[in-house]
Formats: sequence, structure tokens, C-alpha cells
Amino acid sequence: MHDIGSLVVHMLDETTKTSVRLFAPELVLSGTIVVMLLCRILPVVWRVPTQWIALAGAFSAFALTLCQFDSLVGGAARAESFFTGLLMFDQFSTFFRMFLSLFLILTITLTVLTGIPDREDGPDFYTLLIGATIGLMIMASANHLLMLFIGVEMTSVPSYAMVGFLKGRKKSSEAALKYVVYGAGAAGVMLYGISLLAGLTGTGSLPEMAERLSMIVAQGKGISDPTNRTIVLASLMVLVGLAFKLSVFPFHFWCPDAFEGAAAEVAGFLSVASKAGAFALLVRFGLAFSGHSKEVSSIAFALGIGLGVLGAATATFGNLSAYGQSNMKRLLAYSTIAHAGYMLMSVSALMVLRFSKYAGAEADAASLSCIEGLMYYLFVYLFMNLGAFAIVALIRNQIFSEELDDYNGLGTQCPVLCFGMTICVFSLIGLPPMGGFFAKFAIFYSVFKATSVHWVMWFVLGAGAINTVFSLFYYIRILKAMYIKPRPEGARKVNYDLMPVGLFVLMICLPVLGLGLFPARFTETFHHVASVLLTGR
Amino acid sequence: MQAIGPNPFLFIGAVLFVCGVVCMTTKRNGIGVLMGVELVLNGANLNFITFSRFTPLGLDGQVFSLFVIVLAAAEAAVALAIALNFYNNHLTIDVDRGDDLHG
Repeated sequence: MHDIGSLVVHMLDETTKTSVRLFAPELVLSGTIVVMLLCRILPVVWRVPTQWIALAGAFSAFALTLCQFDSLVGGAARAESFFTGLLMFDQFSTFFRMFLSLFLILTITLTVLTGIPDREDGPDFYTLLIGATIGLMIMASANHLLMLFIGVEMTSVPSYAMVGFLKGRKKSSEAALKYVVYGAGAAGVMLYGISLLAGLTGTGSLPEMAERLSMIVAQGKGISDPTNRTIVLASLMVLVGLAFKLSVFPFHFWCPDAFEGAAAEVAGFLSVASKAGAFALLVRFGLAFSGHSKEVSSIAFALGIGLGVLGAATATFGNLSAYGQSNMKRLLAYSTIAHAGYMLMSVSALMVLRFSKYAGAEADAASLSCIEGLMYYLFVYLFMNLGAFAIVALIRNQIFSEELDDYNGLGTQCPVLCFGMTICVFSLIGLPPMGGFFAKFAIFYSVFKATSVHWVMWFVLGAGAINTVFSLFYYIRILKAMYIKPRPEGARKVNYDLMPVGLFVLMICLPVLGLGLFPARFTETFHHVASVLLTGR
Repeated sequence: MQAIGPNPFLFIGAVLFVCGVVCMTTKRNGIGVLMGVELVLNGANLNFITFSRFTPLGLDGQVFSLFVIVLAAAEAAVALAIALNFYNNHLTIDVDRGDDLHG
């Protein structure tokens, strides 16, 4: 009896003294949801516009994560797990939570400017948006298989609803149905994999899982052992769920449909935020295989090679399919798939380097550069991809179309939007001096480092380089439509409101340029984050 | 009574999983696909309960399955709402009839 009592006291102590403080950003966002929904019930405060409440919540969450990140980098706080080891508080997770709340601010600002959702639907939409962001934050800090699944589901379920948010549109409802059917299927398969992993290792905690895995695999007799096969199968099943969220080939088919049916704002959210969360989770899951056992390392090494091949296939498939597209959202969806492929290459390089047989100081340094490259890429990707989707949404509000042909000759009519699009497109291609160039360079550099370990990485590197050239052609089509083709006779004149919209576009596009011009400032921080994640120092 | 090991339970879980996957891939009816998803989730749930009884996973497994039940309910609610919305717009629930989006 005494034991249970002291246990409860200990848990309460941990929860109130540490966990709640570390979990504050998510709690603030949850509070924001409650306040928004209460405001709808109470007639007195119904006049308060929901978007301002949502924006205030997002800003405070961002401020809190910024403070946490600052104290972590400054050394005032240390990395620790909280909520009895379910979640992890370290530089890596806090960076992603900061990233996600910054993205939430930008998305809410965008929806205020474009007027989707209308006033009646505001609370619903922002509830879904913020709820999905909380799920992503949990994904980024997951330290337990249960949290992995809850994070993925908390992100997916609101995303399904957001895709189908445009009422009375055939395309929107179809997109939502396809997304929910495939998404639920992938989540089910992932859960089955999680159940096998948890059962085999007897624990759900990711760090413990690594130790137990090395014990179990060491007892077996290589890959022919049924237990080892089950472990591989279960890991593959978990990876299916993550690959679905990342829209990795061959689980990418939902992505273009969902993006075309959804509003451009929602598509932007899915394309950036859910990729960021899923990549954070993938890195954590991949690192969960770290151990001293050779057998586990060799399994993880093979998974890394597999991810590299998948990354190359994804990038190639995305870029090739983007060619024939005439709808802007669909084109950007395929571009999203291609970029997921590039980022997957860096995760693959990370696993290959970390789990290679010749692990040494050099490989460790190189695996740091993989995480650095991934974080830099995601950070640039936030601005450039959000910028592209935001401009598609803003132009849609003017010309009521998202077809590429209707963009003809817009360059003279709305110069600021088209200039922003040019910056984003150049960065997406990876032309210097945009941020996209250095991001791609960082990733290809880490893949190049991995080539010394295994020859397949040469193939991955080659595929990445060729794809970059491929992608030039369809991105240029956007610029060609806007700047070279003439505006058709009798086309609608574009009424372009310069002040808030232009300011917002510049606010998103300038960081793309700034990240390219001053990369050193950011890579230092990213280096620190990566070294804490990998070496604990 | 002779003690039963974990294998029969795991076997039923695997059967549920396979039935669910087959159901998801062959059904053309949107509701049917969602039923397949529920089968898969329950197969995994049975695994968790089995492991909680027979392995060091312990109560963690039961907590897992409680969360899965809650999340499955949430997912079913959203999925059915989306299916209803699809029906309102297309007057059918056949997933193959949604062919506005392609390319």
C-alpha cells in the first residue's frame, strides 16, 4: 500500500513540477480551442472574431517554445523526458514545436487574408487547425510508441475534416473521402506494426526498445530467425504509416487528390506542417535502433538503404508526374512529393552513416550533417512552400481559378504576388542565392558522405541531381505563364490590394532569400541541435 | 484447465488483420472500407491485450488498447461524416464513382 502511495505522490510531483511546464505550449493551444468554442456558445462574446483568439493562442505558443528553445540552447535547461517518459523534451523536439507554432501563426494570418473560412465556420476551422498542430507537436516530441500513434492520429483526423471543409463542392468531398479511406488504412497497418513491436520488446518506450531489441536480436540466428523477421516486418509496417504521412512512393497517391480538392490554405498546411512532424518522428524512430548490437545495426542499415532507394523513387516520380499538370495545386502537390523524396534521402544517409560497420568519428560527424541538412531544408521549405500555396490562394481570390492557363500574363497585373512566386519557385528549384539552394546542397552533401559507406548511395545521389534538373522544366512553366504569355483578351482585370497582402507575401518570401544569403547563422544552431540529439552533448 | 499460451490470441488477431486488409482492398463501398479499418484496429487491439497478459508489456498494453478504442471512435465519427458529405454530393457511396480528381 505504501508503495503505491509513494508512487502516486512521485507521479503527481513530476507532473505538476516538470511536465506541465514543459508541455505548456500544447496546453496553451488546447486552451485556445476551448476558449474559441466557448465564445461561440456565449452570445456576449460571439462578436469577438475567432481568428484573433486563434492568432493570440498561436503567438503565445510560439513565444513559449521560443523561450524553451532559448533556455535549452543557452544551457539553462537540460534535455529530459517527461510525463513518465512518454514525451521527450530536447533541442530537436523543441525546434520542431517552435517551427510548427511559427507555421500555425503564418497559416492563420493567411486564412485571415484570404477569407477562408467564413465567419460562421471560423471556430470549427481553427479548432481543427490548432488540434492538428498539437498532434504534430506530440509527434515531434514522441518518446513512446503510444505517443507515436496518438500524434499521428491527432494530426490525421482533423486533417481529413479540413480537406473536406469546402462545403457543397464535389471535389472537396471526394478528396476528403479518399484521404480518410487511405489514411485510416495506413494508420491501421501502422498500429498493427506497433502492437508487434511493443509485444516483442515488452515495452513501448523508444530508448528502452533499442536496448531490448539488441538483446532479442543477439539471441537469434540472423535474419532467418522468426523473431528477427517479425521485428523487420513490424518496423516496415510502422514505416508504412509514416511513409503515408510523408507521401512517399508508393504511398503518395492520396496527396495530389487531397491537395486539389482542399482549399490551397489547407493544402499548404498539409504540405509543410505534416511533413515536418512526420520527418521528426521518422528520425526519432530511426534512431531508436541505436544500440551496441551488430545485428540490430545491420537491420537498421538495410532500412536506411531502403529509405534511400524509396527517396530516389519518390523524387523521380513526383517530378515526372508534375510535368503534365495544369492545375496549380496538383502541380505543387507533386512538387511536395518530390521534396519529400529529397528529405527522405537525408534520413537515409543518416541511418546509413550511423549504422554502418565502419562507424567512427568521421561517420558520426557526417551523420550530424544529415540532421543539420534536414532541419535546414525543412526550415527553408516552410517559407518557400507556404509562400507558393499562399500565392495560389491569394491569386484564386482574384481570378477565381487555380488553373495554370489562367495565370497567363499576371506578371504585369499583380507584380508583388508574381515576384513572390518567382522567389519561391527559384528556391524550390534550388537556384542560388535562394535558401533552397543551400538546403539542397546540404542534403546532397550528406548523401555524398554516405557514398563512402555503401555504393547504393551513389545511385541515390545521382537520382537527386538528375531530379533537380528535371524539376526545372515544370517550375519554369509557372514563370513562363506569368511573365511571357500575354493576358488573354477580355480577361478579368485583377483588383489587387497591395498593403496587407503584399506585406504578407514579402514577409514569407524574404526569409527564403535571407536563409540563402546568411546560412551560417542558422547552421550553427542546427549543428548544436543535431549534436545533442545524436551524442547527448 | 490447461493454460492457453499467447499464440491462439495472436492468431485470431492476425486473422482479423488479414480480413480487415482484404476488406479494405476489395470493398468498393466506402462504409465497407471503413469496416475493414475497424477490423484491422481490433486485430491490433487483441495483440495489445495478449501481450499485456503474456509479456513484460504489462498494463501498458491495456492502456494502449483503451487509447486505440477512443481514437477509433473519433476516426469513425469523422470518417462517417465525410462519407455522408460524399453521399450528399455524389448520391452514391461507391468510392470508384469519385473520379473528378485524377491525373
